[in-house]
Amino acid sequence: MDPLTNLFSGLRTSSSAMSAERTRIDVIAKNLAYAQVTHMPDGSGPYRRQVVRFSTVMKRAAPGTKPEPEGVKVDRIEPDQVTPLERVYSPGHPDADAQGMVTYPNVNPTSEMADLITAVRAYESNANAADGFVKMAERALRLAQ
Amino acid sequence: MNPVSDRDQILVRLMSAAALRARVLSENVANQNVPGYKRRVVSFEDELRARVAAGRDVAGLEPRIEADLKSPSSPDGNNVSLELETNGLRENWVAYEIYAAMLQSRNNVLQTAITGGQ
Repeated sequence: MDPLTNLFSGLRTSSSAMSAERTRIDVIAKNLAYAQVTHMPDGSGPYRRQVVRFSTVMKRAAPGTKPEPEGVKVDRIEPDQVTPLERVYSPGHPDADAQGMVTYPNVNPTSEMADLITAVRAYESNANAADGFVKMAERALRLAQ
Repeated sequence: MNPVSDRDQILVRLMSAAALRARVLSENVANQNVPGYKRRVVSFEDELRARVAAGRDVAGLEPRIEADLKSPSSPDGNNVSLELETNGLRENWVAYEIYAAMLQSRNNVLQTAITGGQ
């Protein structure tokens, strides 16, 4: 592959990762916003935190060649069924059951904030890499001057 | 005398290899949160240096992309190290700038020869 193709496809790889990390940041923001929602409007009970799964996008450059990674995409956004929902004794709460227990979402603000930091760092590092491709292309352009 | 020397050819190929490495390292950065992803690296300069030192032909030498299976993986099977990738990218940018500057100085010399310094 010629150098320009490498520079431009690298730029696309970085932007695909930036948009995937943005999706993750949005989902984390949603988890934090819904942290106290004990009653979803569709009647499904308390909110469950959502998790974003990433996967690599593979592309075959030409028939018969090995597929090459070409970027990252959001594979799935799924509810976290593993982390248990939180049970709190609060008899006055409208969603309390017969024992006075209220089921709260399985959102842990601390771990959401930790995930948020990871996602923001990842976003920044990809923005940095994208910047590098632009600099390299500009440098190659200056050779002609 | 052929004005496009072997040295220029090598510089152009070094720049191409650096562009490829920038892409591969950026893919590693992009995949830092993908479970099971293994980081990849580009090897070219070491083999080039060895061949030049041994006086062997470098025409058929191409940069190779290799999976790095030695770096330790996190529990989700991903072994991207953001420090390795960003420092590798930085080093690579500097190398690219150097190759470009060397190539440019050659071009300036040719330019002077063509115009007679006018």
